[in-house]
Amino acid sequence: MSFAPKPRAALLIVGHGSTENPDSSTPYFEHADEIRSRGLFAEVHCCFWKEEPSMREAEYMIDAEEVYVVPDFISEGYFTQDVIPRELRLEGPSTRRAGKTWHYTLPVGVHPSMTALLLQRAKEVAPDARPSETTLFIVGHGTGLNQNSTKAIRDQVELIKASGAGYAEVHDAFMEEQPFIAEWDQLATTPNVVVVPFFISDGLHSYQDIPVLLGIEAEPGEAASQREVFRHNPHHLRGKTLYYSSAIGTERNIADVILDQVADFDSKLHEDR
Amino acid sequence: MKTAERLAQAVAGGVHRIGQIAIRPRLNGHGYEICHIDDEGLSPAALDFREGPAAARTISTWAADGHYRFTKGELTLVRGWMLVLHSAEELQQALDAFYPAAAGLWFAQQDGRLEVEHLRDKLNRQTGMYRFARNLSDGGAQRLVQEVCGPGHCCVKKILWQLDATTPLEDSEASRFDGVVGEINRRQAIPLLCREACNHFVAEARKASKAEATK
Repeated sequence: MSFAPKPRAALLIVGHGSTENPDSSTPYFEHADEIRSRGLFAEVHCCFWKEEPSMREAEYMIDAEEVYVVPDFISEGYFTQDVIPRELRLEGPSTRRAGKTWHYTLPVGVHPSMTALLLQRAKEVAPDARPSETTLFIVGHGTGLNQNSTKAIRDQVELIKASGAGYAEVHDAFMEEQPFIAEWDQLATTPNVVVVPFFISDGLHSYQDIPVLLGIEAEPGEAASQREVFRHNPHHLRGKTLYYSSAIGTERNIADVILDQVADFDSKLHEDR
Repeated sequence: MKTAERLAQAVAGGVHRIGQIAIRPRLNGHGYEICHIDDEGLSPAALDFREGPAAARTISTWAADGHYRFTKGELTLVRGWMLVLHSAEELQQALDAFYPAAAGLWFAQQDGRLEVEHLRDKLNRQTGMYRFARNLSDGGAQRLVQEVCGPGHCCVKKILWQLDATTPLEDSEASRFDGVVGEINRRQAIPLLCREACNHFVAEARKASKAEATK
């Protein structure tokens, strides 16, 4: 989708961030750099829950009177529905306050265009694996705390199945609930398996926990930037050929999904008028 | 006036310091050069030349001892680099990576539009796992400021908040610090301002209030 530039508006990308691991916020800055380089907004900024600038500090960086706030999160839930609106003092889809209008879009992970990115990532990580002989797993955390994140993954699985990409099997799988990703070799009947973590960043889950559950690593390892967990594909494990991708959010083209969410927000705004 | 223009104006007016960073206009008149304040007197040949604001994130991420600088107000900025920025916009972007929002907060303070939020307001609005932080006693909060904030610990920001509207912070190095590093004319520096307790402080407040509860 071509994006109509907004030379008078600011884009504010909201991320989780981490006090433990700088890789956690790298994707947000990369998405911001990518969009900034295209000259589509007057300003592009990031703010975070666990890092600086905080959400409450963000407004002091912004000159524009119109601000699009895009949660760079994979699903709707506690952060997008409680924390971000509270911290940015948002009262609905659009909020006017102190001379600025804040537009709050849906999180990137729920946009239908994520499907194409997941397929692209699966192809990149396993270029030689024929889809007809391959099972594709989309992996999330999965807990009782946030049913929306499991729903976002199940929705993507259905979209991939319907996409005609030709994978023999497409499954959702989770770290802490059924179907468990640790049982990937039993869940998949094909010789090839591709695993794509449905997270924004390569944090503890994608570079430490999931590799252990898959059997790639015996013990949790070091930070992603200090090791090469994603660079040793394929892994020959449990009688199958396994390809493991870094988190989908590290894809630079997530920038396009951010823009898609802004464009969808505007379309909805016009429909409602 | 836009933040970048105000920044350019401030530098033209003699401001040359923010946190551990020295700022100077380039000799050719186009753009700016910034470096660590302790490297100001070094020959340029001794420094690693970088270009563009994106490098600011790389430079500011790790301390020399290898720890992750998740609070940018730490006195641990690495030395040995010179960053060339080609415009006031690039300068703003780079400074927002080194000291997020600091320039904007300073301008807002000058304009009288900086909203300061006291600790109780911050703690009372926490939900989820941080809700317990609100149980921290006043005494515990005062101690925590002295254990977490200030140049002796991890942060060289000037604390603007109090416990609440009527309870100031107790006198300490942390509460006295003015947000400017080093012995220079204060008018030549952008002070680092702390308008509300950071989320690192909230996380520590949660731990401290849990410890109080188990006593």
